[in-house]
Amino acid sequence: MKRRTWLLSALGATGALVVGWGVMPARSRLGSPELMLKTQGDVALNGWIKIAADGAVVLAMPRSEMGQGVHTALAMLVAEELDVPLSRVRLEQAGADSIYGNVAMLVASLPFHPLDSEGENKPTQIKMGEWLVGKVARELGLNATGGSSSIADLWEPLRMAAATARASLVQAAATTWKVPASDITVTAGVMKHASGQSAHYGQMVAAASGSTPSGIQTKSRENWKLIGQPAPRTDIPAKVTGQATFGLDVRLPGMLFAAVQMCPMLGGSAASMDTKDALALKGVSKVVPLNAWGGGTAGLAVVGQTTWHARQGVQAVKVQWQAPATGALDTQRIQADLLKALNEDSGFTFHEQGVPTQAEKAATTRIDALYQAPYLAHVTMEPMNCTAQVKDGKVEIWVSTQVPQMARDMAAKVAKVDKEQVTVHVTQLGGGFGRRLDVDFVGQAVQVAMACEDQPVQLSWSREEDMKHDFYRPMHLAKFQASLDEKGEVTSLRIKSAGDAITPRWMARAAPHLSGPIDMPDKTTSEGLFDLPYGFASQHMSHVATQSGVPVGFWRSVGHSHNAFFSESFIDELAAATKQDPLAFRLKLLKDAPRYAAVLQLVADKAGWGTPLPAGRARGIALHKSFGSIVAQVAEVSLANGQIRVHRVVCAIDCGTVVNPGTVAQQMESSVVYALSAALFGKIDIVGSVVQQSNFSDAPMLTLSQTPVVETIIVPSTRHPAGVGEPAVPPLAPAVGNALFALTGKRQRALPLGV
Amino acid sequence: MGDRTWHTPLQAIAHRVGTYRVKFLAPPNTKLWPLTSRILINHQNTVQLNINGQSRTSTADPSMPLLWVLRDELQLTGTKFGCGIAACGACTVHVDGQPVRSCVTSVSSVAQQAIKTIESLGTAEKPHPLQAAWIAEQVPQCGYCQSGMLMAAAALLDKTPQPSDAEIDAAMTNLCRCGTYQRVRKAIHRAAAVMKKGGAA
Repeated sequence: MKRRTWLLSALGATGALVVGWGVMPARSRLGSPELMLKTQGDVALNGWIKIAADGAVVLAMPRSEMGQGVHTALAMLVAEELDVPLSRVRLEQAGADSIYGNVAMLVASLPFHPLDSEGENKPTQIKMGEWLVGKVARELGLNATGGSSSIADLWEPLRMAAATARASLVQAAATTWKVPASDITVTAGVMKHASGQSAHYGQMVAAASGSTPSGIQTKSRENWKLIGQPAPRTDIPAKVTGQATFGLDVRLPGMLFAAVQMCPMLGGSAASMDTKDALALKGVSKVVPLNAWGGGTAGLAVVGQTTWHARQGVQAVKVQWQAPATGALDTQRIQADLLKALNEDSGFTFHEQGVPTQAEKAATTRIDALYQAPYLAHVTMEPMNCTAQVKDGKVEIWVSTQVPQMARDMAAKVAKVDKEQVTVHVTQLGGGFGRRLDVDFVGQAVQVAMACEDQPVQLSWSREEDMKHDFYRPMHLAKFQASLDEKGEVTSLRIKSAGDAITPRWMARAAPHLSGPIDMPDKTTSEGLFDLPYGFASQHMSHVATQSGVPVGFWRSVGHSHNAFFSESFIDELAAATKQDPLAFRLKLLKDAPRYAAVLQLVADKAGWGTPLPAGRARGIALHKSFGSIVAQVAEVSLANGQIRVHRVVCAIDCGTVVNPGTVAQQMESSVVYALSAALFGKIDIVGSVVQQSNFSDAPMLTLSQTPVVETIIVPSTRHPAGVGEPAVPPLAPAVGNALFALTGKRQRALPLGV
Repeated sequence: MGDRTWHTPLQAIAHRVGTYRVKFLAPPNTKLWPLTSRILINHQNTVQLNINGQSRTSTADPSMPLLWVLRDELQLTGTKFGCGIAACGACTVHVDGQPVRSCVTSVSSVAQQAIKTIESLGTAEKPHPLQAAWIAEQVPQCGYCQSGMLMAAAALLDKTPQPSDAEIDAAMTNLCRCGTYQRVRKAIHRAAAVMKKGGAA
């Protein structure tokens, strides 16, 4: 089937940048031992692996743990190749070298159609695009935890680093013992030879140091002992005793606390402030006007002896707030603007196949629908915070962040020092969901620390500030038009959506040196709409990128989160309009996409699709691919006193090779709950530039009593590992919406769902 | 007050300089009194608190929420801030065995009572059956809300050793954005079963 997806218009420019760079083989991410921290008694063998004197393995950890279990899964890769128990792997925060950058995340941002870009026979332009972007990503070395990419990205480099370290150690033992390396066995980090010689890694690491064996192969999968088996998470014991250190738990000698208030109007500022009453309060020492850092809003911080004192101070400052010069933001008006844009602008075509116009002319029936999704906040349980100390021209920050280098760059910019003068300590993250890909609060903390003469300051946000000053998932509208022939077959599908593009706005505030003068087409706007697996002969998908002025950001599963609701609900509409079973209708359209069909059939079987349910209950089904993984869900729904109740969600995922099935199941449950909160309650309204929601009292989240039973099925696979943290978010809202349709006959075309 | 007998001169002085709702929990001449000297120097009001079986002195304003005394003054950071309006339960501690949301509980209101935080629920070596069940069921993800979850669950089991699903629903109103609820429920049932048998989870 001939498809015409968007060919990177940026590719030419990007290509020009990389001319002259040598080819960087995948193994170039091994790194040199100098990249690791010099610690007493430990010897580094490459940029990832150190061996301690007692034989323990120290792994340089560039990714942030925000609940997704990545610290355990990445340690498993290393433990596997070095033949040590998982408990023998210690983590050390990685530095800022480009080997720690996230290549997979950037490659995945290319808008290639999945039916073209997966499998062995990729078209040349796709191979070229991936290669070029991969090279650029390696050069940039952007260390980010996001895009469900940690395992996909580090799968090869980490196993290779560990296997190489193992080979050096075994070779050192072989040389010392004057025996062939091939005769040495390794069990639990202890090397043994039939002659009776034996040594643990710590005893051989000095001899192994400096050797870089080549031609190393990682283990073949039949020899895996850890990979693929559920492993208890290594971070959990500290999380049940209150000992885990989140950003807000950092305590330093002489530390002060700062509370903030930003201008309630997004993008506004303080015209004037009277600090007299605040400074008269006991325990309040300072008021610091805050700039608008990293795309955030200006405001003020109050420094006090505790967070509570600082917050009392914030309450006491009398501020004259000033509206942004750009004009007031209103979600109602933005919604009207998006509708207008849908009708008037042509937008950017992300995908076209067949001849949609011809099919539309020949159609006997047309089915049209308009879908919409609101702005959404991330609402991590740990509100935004950062601890900073500025002393002797150096800056030290402690922060729960998904982007340590960006945090460093922000600190350097605010303190006007070189990046090398900034030390970043990444703590445990009390949730991320994409919010911590922004570093606005880091800028604030450093600005306050500069006013506090050498003393460390912990700056933290209240829940209200966190809710009112997020980088929101952008509102989107989408228009669907299906053409049917006289036999009732769908001959063409036209999708046009409108909303803010996220990546260009994020680039402009987070990496302005990489941000171009014009917005490039952004895959996040179209993902989940241009890349449908269904075999409609003619398709057209375009997007109108707007600039509402609302700060927008990456929200768990990003564009997929609303686009899957649109597309999978509309597919259900087509099934209903043509009087077909939603499962059978989809399977018929998935003839050329057997991997999708298999996941869908599996979930249907496990959920008992088509079997009777108690009266007043109905099932809905949805299928969606994101971050390289295919997820299908069946939701069982009822209504009680007008309230939507989801009883059970069966969730099947094909995410390629699985490292830790335990965390995959956790992430499926997590995604269902996160997505269900959004589907049932999630929205952000803005009036006069002021976000109307403020706390859990007016922005409810799903509770335990409202949580469905989630059953996870993992499809066995030998493919390259794909994403897990996000892909189960997108199908949830359409599965529930489709179940509601089955129950009530009323189609759900807007989020949050309502009956 | 003239007929009252003070255990130590320091206690008497502490009272005279205006100790707020003093509760004398420490026996005389113990190491639990070193902070009393601050009272003499600062002439501040202090609150004597019974936290995790230890007497702790706080110089906090009486209206200051217990949460911030624990976190910012006494460095007991296991108890978390989530919302400040008693809606999320991340700050749950026990006060005389009852689950209390410490973000809206003034320190003065609990000066006479036994306060228990996550730091004394159990340790890595000697976990509370709930903590062991939390590990067995692999409950936490980001972990931020889990101190509060565990304290709420512990209070539930103290009162209702074999809770039904409906009783768990009613008692466990804590919010978790990672969606650990289903495992929280399982882990409570597991711990309840273990405690019934009188063993560790």
